[in-house]
Amino acid sequence: MSVTIIQKQDFPDFVNRLLSQFRVSGPVEEDGGYAFRVIENSDDLRLDYPTTILPPKKFLLPTKETLFEFDKSGNGTVQAPVVEPRTVVLGVHTCDLHAIKLLDRVFSTGHIDPNYTLRRKQTLIVSIECLTPCDENSFCKSMGTLSADDGYDLHMTDVGNFYTIDIGTEVGEELLQYAKTAPATEENMKKLNAVISEKWPRFPYRLDFDISDLPSLLNMSMKSPLWEELGERCLACAACTNVCPTCFCFDVRDEIDLDLQHGQRIRKWDSCQLDEFATIADGHNFRQSRALRQRHRFMRKGKYILEAHDYLGCVGCGRCARACLVDITPVGVFNELYRQKEVGGQS
Amino acid sequence: MIANKSYVTLADYGSVDNQLFMPVPTRIKKVVSLNDLNKLFTLELPGGMSLDHRPGQFVEVSIFGVGEAPISITSSPSRSNSQFELCVRKVGDLTSAFHNMRAGDIVGIRGPFGRGFPIEKFRGKDILFAPGGLGLPPLRSLINQVLDERAHFGRVIILYGARNPDELLFKDELKEWGDRKDVELLLTVDKGEENWKGHVGVITTLFKEISIYPRNTIAVTVGPPVMYRFVLMEFLAKGITEGNIYLSLERRMKCGIGKCGHCQINNVYSCQSGPVFPYSEIKGLEEAL
Amino acid sequence: MSQNGKPKIAFFDFTCCEGCQLTVIDSLQTHPELLDVVDIVQFREAMSEKGEDYLVAFIEGSCTRESDEERLRKIREQASIVIALGACAHLGGINSLKALHPLEDVRKYVYGDKADWYETYDARPIDAVIKVDGEIPGCPIDRDEFIACVKALLMGKKLPIPDYPVCVECKLKENVCLFKKGKVCLGPITRAGCNAICPTYGASCEGCRGYITNPNDDSMREVLAEAGLSVDEITSIYTMFTTYQVQQKMKQGKETV
Repeated sequence: MSVTIIQKQDFPDFVNRLLSQFRVSGPVEEDGGYAFRVIENSDDLRLDYPTTILPPKKFLLPTKETLFEFDKSGNGTVQAPVVEPRTVVLGVHTCDLHAIKLLDRVFSTGHIDPNYTLRRKQTLIVSIECLTPCDENSFCKSMGTLSADDGYDLHMTDVGNFYTIDIGTEVGEELLQYAKTAPATEENMKKLNAVISEKWPRFPYRLDFDISDLPSLLNMSMKSPLWEELGERCLACAACTNVCPTCFCFDVRDEIDLDLQHGQRIRKWDSCQLDEFATIADGHNFRQSRALRQRHRFMRKGKYILEAHDYLGCVGCGRCARACLVDITPVGVFNELYRQKEVGGQS
Repeated sequence: MIANKSYVTLADYGSVDNQLFMPVPTRIKKVVSLNDLNKLFTLELPGGMSLDHRPGQFVEVSIFGVGEAPISITSSPSRSNSQFELCVRKVGDLTSAFHNMRAGDIVGIRGPFGRGFPIEKFRGKDILFAPGGLGLPPLRSLINQVLDERAHFGRVIILYGARNPDELLFKDELKEWGDRKDVELLLTVDKGEENWKGHVGVITTLFKEISIYPRNTIAVTVGPPVMYRFVLMEFLAKGITEGNIYLSLERRMKCGIGKCGHCQINNVYSCQSGPVFPYSEIKGLEEAL
Repeated sequence: MSQNGKPKIAFFDFTCCEGCQLTVIDSLQTHPELLDVVDIVQFREAMSEKGEDYLVAFIEGSCTRESDEERLRKIREQASIVIALGACAHLGGINSLKALHPLEDVRKYVYGDKADWYETYDARPIDAVIKVDGEIPGCPIDRDEFIACVKALLMGKKLPIPDYPVCVECKLKENVCLFKKGKVCLGPITRAGCNAICPTYGASCEGCRGYITNPNDDSMREVLAEAGLSVDEITSIYTMFTTYQVQQKMKQGKETV
């Protein structure tokens, strides 16, 4: 597919024209951090952001959403009130793109989730090539998520004075009607190729082993003493799962109005790290210890999700590592399990 | 032309199941109190719909304003198509609200969900049932189907244990089963009472009372988590193979459709792959028992 | 029940700043429909009538003198449901800090030469004196949580107080973690339900809602120590609202502070 370019000076105009047609969201700076927000002006965008606190997943699986509204009597009450405007999400990093591909598969496997599907279909993704690591916590190169061949509608690369645009889908191509574009010249392509080839050495491999060995490594690590160590440190604050772009577990609850007649069934993000997650009605908790909860988390990331959906459950974005106050990180955990295995193998 | 800011709703997308989270309003036809904590509800789906469940499956019950919870179906599909029964123990907000409901009230039902008992594999075999306490309601569905198709099965042995005589559920049916010549029923209670003349002791103490032919026996147990290890040991000691032992694993299924994560046992979503499992499938799962 | 079928509720205050009752009044501004479903028969902060036939009693404040115990017992006798409203009633709260000093010194410090005129003892939560059916935490309580609790009470459900930490709510709001800004915060162990209001405005969580059921105390203390706090500072941040609980534990020999 041919590559298009947009001059940087023309980019704000593109965004502003998108704003007149769509709900537009992208990374903005807030209080010294960054977050994906619905924007009102192209000036708010910070496409050079390192990483955001929450991933763009929140547009597809909101932190809290209404599944339906009801009447307490149960009579003629149920309806699906989900309505979504077409939304363009700008500036998605490739790690998050890989995460969205996983979520797409999770919510369309077996029972197709109506709310996710609707939001996904109403969402256009404009991703952006990462040229430098977000910080020392990202390990996308080890996870194979430093680039993406698909999953986007448009994909941008910052090449100095202009962005090159890879077109991923037909709707993506239609988006370009709002931009002043030009076909990439040979000179443009040379610059693009140089930018891409120069970026790779900037990203270090941070895992001490090849990622394809991760599932078997975890399989051998069910009884590793590391889990107990993590359990002693873990605060069970659930920051790791709440900031994760691939976590999708949820809770379902009812909320009722003060008239005690009308209410909503809501779905909200939940976390396997919290006490109540695996607790049944009589109070029995099937994952009582923090150690077992951490083990479950990492098994999902590196093994269970892969087995169920053919994609790894970790995309190397490093958000959990940044959020953890007690320094529990995927790189640290996976490398330590690898070290234990190597030591064990020698003895 | 791609849509612009205009809003769309689920109705614009024909391919997705937009009823996935929508409970079917279902009327309570009858409520029977089994003891202080347990009530038996008979429910009827609207418009002559049938539940089409298998023994061992569960439904998600909505009490609007309180929430939704998984409850196993206690009636046998061989008994009625339009009506089904749920045995509900009062343990939390939802079940307490359920207990306050009367005939004529409406609850929401989604399902049935999960994998039930593979009854076709049981045909021609002797069946050893070992429910403990609240394990009887889910097993009653299977027991009654087996009894309704009695000729297709070999011996039917039921070992049922409860904490005390009052906690033995479905006493009328227990009597019926006990009176049948083609059913071997043994009851026990952990702690007897004045009028209790039967066996006293935990359920495993009943195993020495029976003799079985292990190669032709299917063993089925449902009960509290603490009971499983001990009952499984008895089954295995009798020589029943791991693939012929079935059990049901209770978890906190929030969605029933393999997404929410609450019911996961290692890599297995028990709402999809379970709650009924052959022991051979779960014995390698660290989190199963 | 009133003749109109609405349950009668009453508000009482003991030793407190009355901030929680102000929040209740505030919630009546935002949710005036509350008065469609309950009858308030006693609420010194907001009205002069005094009905004594209440079904639900909301009590703000801690018990700080022996003579208050009788009044509490009377409320308990009348009310079918007693709810502790806010940190003082729920935990003993700030008031219980005085237990860290000799009572006589405290009394002199506050009342000077009139110290002997005033009766006082170590502040304690309401449930140290009478049985309490539920607690609405916070200093002050959260308006929305108060409304949610009233709804739960009316439906006969247990109060919807979360058993997960403030960090959950804080992350979902995408606040920059206060530890990243060089501050310390008790968000990882403090019970959520406040929608992380303090961290959202840049203020550290001080644990006014009490702690989750299973806080990882040892690890939390290490985090605070790594952030540069001394043992004494850690103790003082830990006991801001929970002096009573910590002292009870020490009495039972379960913990040393």
